[in-house]
Amino acid sequence: MNADQNQPRDSRARTPELPPARAAMTAFIDALRQRLRDFESRASLPQELEQTVRQVVADDDLPTRFTRAATSVGLEVHAGSPTDWMDVIADILRKHEAHSVVVQLDTDSPLGEHATAELGNRLTTDGFEPTTVVADETLFSADAAVTSVAAAIAETGTIVCPSGPDLARGASLLPPIHVAVVQTSQLVPDQCDYFDQLAGQAGLPANINLITGPSKTADIEGILVTGVHGPRHVHVVLVSP
Amino acid sequence: MSTRKAFRQRVCEAVADERAVHLATWHKMEARAESMRQLRDPEAICELAARIKQHTLENLPRYLEQFVAQVERSGGCVHFAADADAARRIICDIAAAHGAKLAVKGKSMTSEEIHLNDALEAVGVRTVETDLGEFIVQIDHDRPSHIVTPIIHKDRRQIAQAMTRATGCAYTEDAEELTAIARRYLRDIFRRCELGITGVNFGVAESGTLCVCTNEGNGRMSSTRPRVHVALMGIEKLVPRLRDLPVFLKLLARSSTGQPLTVYTTLITGPKRADDPDGPEELHVVLLDNGRSELLAGEFAEVLRCIRCGACLNACPVYRNIGGHAYGSVYPGPIGSLVTPLLQGLDEHAELPRASSLCGACRVVCPVKIDIPGLLVRLRARTRRSQPLLKRVAMRAWKWMMKSPTRYRWAQWWLPRLLPDCRDGWFRGGPGPLGAWTRSRDLPIPPKQSFRKLWRERLSDER
Repeated sequence: MNADQNQPRDSRARTPELPPARAAMTAFIDALRQRLRDFESRASLPQELEQTVRQVVADDDLPTRFTRAATSVGLEVHAGSPTDWMDVIADILRKHEAHSVVVQLDTDSPLGEHATAELGNRLTTDGFEPTTVVADETLFSADAAVTSVAAAIAETGTIVCPSGPDLARGASLLPPIHVAVVQTSQLVPDQCDYFDQLAGQAGLPANINLITGPSKTADIEGILVTGVHGPRHVHVVLVSP
Repeated sequence: MSTRKAFRQRVCEAVADERAVHLATWHKMEARAESMRQLRDPEAICELAARIKQHTLENLPRYLEQFVAQVERSGGCVHFAADADAARRIICDIAAAHGAKLAVKGKSMTSEEIHLNDALEAVGVRTVETDLGEFIVQIDHDRPSHIVTPIIHKDRRQIAQAMTRATGCAYTEDAEELTAIARRYLRDIFRRCELGITGVNFGVAESGTLCVCTNEGNGRMSSTRPRVHVALMGIEKLVPRLRDLPVFLKLLARSSTGQPLTVYTTLITGPKRADDPDGPEELHVVLLDNGRSELLAGEFAEVLRCIRCGACLNACPVYRNIGGHAYGSVYPGPIGSLVTPLLQGLDEHAELPRASSLCGACRVVCPVKIDIPGLLVRLRARTRRSQPLLKRVAMRAWKWMMKSPTRYRWAQWWLPRLLPDCRDGWFRGGPGPLGAWTRSRDLPIPPKQSFRKLWRERLSDER
């Protein structure tokens, strides 16, 4: 109720500088409030969601749950360790005969601040052409992209790729092959956990993608085809300590 | 009545060739049932989803205010469109302000509702649909027939012909090749586009976040590539909190296609930040009323809970047999038979609430527990007066007859004798109202022995 009484005063105070677009919105909300004045709301906002919604608990074997769910939606999961994750990536890229590779590992990721440079060096040695430049043309022409993730959800086999400084949205979207490096410490059991985490964050990135499978369609006679606009192959390298 | 005739005509044409729809919808129903079974307590999650939406609708002014403030705080710009015309004008103005000549669109039913493409084309903005299904609809000058899978009515031969005609590619009926051709064609468009338009699945009031769900990535492309992103959303799309999203996300894709989650669930909070390498520089959120607020405090408010999953279409025996086009409205199927007349006027769509057998399959599958058959009956009551006199008389006679066992018995004896012209097990024609009834409904020959007689002679314990 308090918010109801406070906010209109707020918006009235701002009215003089409002652009016409905003003024129409405010007028509509005011009119709507007037119309619903005598309408008594019956449905209260449920507070306890988790016990109904949660499917996976923290005690579950998260890497196994994640791998099973991810595989069933068409992600290709590879096990890796802190010592061999770069080998695993190089093998994947080789298998796809990829040459130009966008490398975009978040400095905040558990792989460490210098992971991008280290992987870049390694891939160069192996004869690939890695780049951290995310200009349009690079993203459109790259054979593959290697990215970190902000989290991964065991319940649905989902990897979470946010935008941010040096994290282009196009990296997990434009090249035909996407390799995501996930640390087992980044696994959360359920979607509930991820959204709780998000709600507690100070500010949200402009763009977050929850990715659950390769880009796919069944629009033509229900036949499943992958790689419509986004990548056709999405690999997850799951690094356990 | 001309709408009646037009409706009957469309249905008769449709019944003939909707086998593809029949098969596809059965498949989706099975996939839905299977994926709902994976949830611990799907029924309780549906209850929760319904309550959250109902609460939001009943407190919409407050949540709209919060949402608008948060979108603006994150650097987005909010516009209000009272009706379709206003929404078209706002979006055309945004295009003009940026001198945009090429726009891309993610799949959006709301943009279909306001017929946005025609308006943009009229002011010289080429507008390209980028969802594969919608793209094929567009190049074939067709209309979508399902809110989730727009070309459910088309076979691959028709698709191949349209694709060859529009892109000049070599003829192929292979789904994979056709998809690859569309990918290449649209990639070029994505490089050059200046304006991107998407719908919104959920708007989060507490953070001003837009949640857009797609499988192909058309929503991501359209909200990432162009310099300007316009998100068109109905005012009913709000949810209060970020933590409400899992409740709906766990139901939406399952109900639509049987997936645990759409491939891309995109959360957009404002335009590109200063140090983001890519993304749109401007984000415009266009909030559309177009009749929705009229429903808020009334008996039909719960239709606004709809999350456009399409499950009721797939479950509906009428939709499965006539397909989407026969409804003659943007939103087909059971939910469309409510939404279309309620938003656009009952007079032009008086037949839609009657295009249902009221079997209740739609209510069973609805993830937000909308009582579709109940609401359809209430909507029918509103159009009683516009029904033909003969039908009204016949329904009254029916009611009178059903109210007394004697009259019922009497009718049971007379009716078969009134029904002439019986071929291949079905009655056709008949005098007056009966003839009108059998013209558009199948009436089987009654069995030799009535149930009442069977009961008396063999089934009753009191024998």
